Amino acid sequence: MQCVQFDKTVENEPDGPLPADAILHLETCPDCRLLRSDLDVIRAASREWGAEELVPPPAIWVALRAQHESEGLIHGPQVPTHVQLGDSVGGKSWLTALLGGSGTSAPRLSLAGAGCLLLVASALLGLQLRMYSGNVSSNAGSGGVLARVLPAADSASASPLLGLDLHQTLEGDMERVMASLPGQNASLAMSLEENLGIVDHLIAACEKSMREQPDNPAVRQYLYGAYQQKAVLLATAIDRTTLEDR
Amino acid sequence: MNARTITVNCVSAAGATMAAFLLSTGAYAQTHRTERHFAVEGKPVVTVQNPSGHILVKAWDKHEVMVVGRFAASSVEVDTEQVGNRIEVATHVGDPHASGGDTKTDYEITVPTETELQVRTDSGNVTIDSVHGDVSFDSVTADLALQDVEGYLAIKTIGGSTICTRCAGRMDANSISGNFQLIQPVMDNVRVQTSSGNILFDGSFLSRGIYVLKNYSGTIEVRFSSNDSFDVNASSLFGNVVNQAPVVPDRHQMRAPKYPPNGMAQSLFGSMNEGHAKVELSSFSGTIKILKRD
Repeated sequence: MQCVQFDKTVENEPDGPLPADAILHLETCPDCRLLRSDLDVIRAASREWGAEELVPPPAIWVALRAQHESEGLIHGPQVPTHVQLGDSVGGKSWLTALLGGSGTSAPRLSLAGAGCLLLVASALLGLQLRMYSGNVSSNAGSGGVLARVLPAADSASASPLLGLDLHQTLEGDMERVMASLPGQNASLAMSLEENLGIVDHLIAACEKSMREQPDNPAVRQYLYGAYQQKAVLLATAIDRTTLEDR
Repeated sequence: MNARTITVNCVSAAGATMAAFLLSTGAYAQTHRTERHFAVEGKPVVTVQNPSGHILVKAWDKHEVMVVGRFAASSVEVDTEQVGNRIEVATHVGDPHASGGDTKTDYEITVPTETELQVRTDSGNVTIDSVHGDVSFDSVTADLALQDVEGYLAIKTIGGSTICTRCAGRMDANSISGNFQLIQPVMDNVRVQTSSGNILFDGSFLSRGIYVLKNYSGTIEVRFSSNDSFDVNASSLFGNVVNQAPVVPDRHQMRAPKYPPNGMAQSLFGSMNEGHAKVELSSFSGTIKILKRD
């Protein structure tokens, strides 16, 4: 193999294993060895950058809240300087706190807040699912796909966001939103519950397939899509908590 | 079918119609009725927000929007507002303890043909007939029937189903358990996704058209005629692909998508005729049918 052919091989399969003739060429060509070494460094660095993206500084949450409050989009009790998804804030969930709800009455979820929530959730889902392909282990526990994407040691030492179990958080928030639906419209709540069951079933099926075929990008896409559907359902439910009040 | 059968059927149909008329007349005998008229120019935007009930929107040639609302509960109010060419119609329920049935409000709205519509509802059903402006539809369980509409159709439902007959323009639709039926569409950009519902596309694939149909379970069925020209990429990861199209290897030297060998995925990739349109059909575990139209 010549250097030109080696370049093409690396270009076509940058992340794949090298064929035997390319490995042989590496042993005799210092330039291509250097190129390969550089690519390995770039690949490792890109992984680190991807991980760093999951660590938004606490100041972002404060700034986000301040911005929304100044625009009158949200109001309510102060959120602590760092908010961990799934944590309780003064006895209320982060969701209720973020969206300005009351712990005793049905939360008045603003659309702006809901949009913010879904944006964060979608971004996290995207990031976590990308990482899933690299870190998934076939004998992982049964704590939900998103709980398994990072080793426990990593999650303990990284940002509060890294340790969250978004799957369970979505579950909890969904329950709270469903409970806050207008009580008089039982058929609406029933339909949302029914469709929530459908989406959860799909997510479970996709997770099972993901465990069986961790390298299958199509399965990962379907899993991502199923979570998106759940986010759509959550957005609709939030929306309907206020629709009939307007 | 003999004459006797026809007679019996006709009598049955007439009886059913009469019964329906009497029932509806009886029902509305106890209802409130409100009618509003709004003069508009050009292409108005009409927004309708109604938690429950039937909404019928149809087009006429007048430069006027007419809203007729019917409701039974005294706690229900129909709020309307006009700001220039923007008309808003909303059902307001005064009694927070009123049940879903009590808040049911039916609307008959007549609009200029080029009107843009934004409809939001929870349950009931919505019919839109011959409106040629963009349509945005957001519902939970309400079914949607579109007929002879044109423009950009943005549809979001949770469980409601959609039947689109002779629709033109573009469609972007998403549902969780709703079905979609596109009958004789004349659309060059169709993106439909439903999680557990079925999708039927029975129409021509336009040149340069892009058709993306996706579900997780259920059936995706497209029907083609021998003159249709399209590239097709159909795959079901854990389901079946049934094909009657005389597909040949892709005429545009596109690479076939790679699927890891799991032993279960079924896929079809290739061209029919010149491959002018692009058809992407994907399902997680459902059945994909590409069938020749009778």
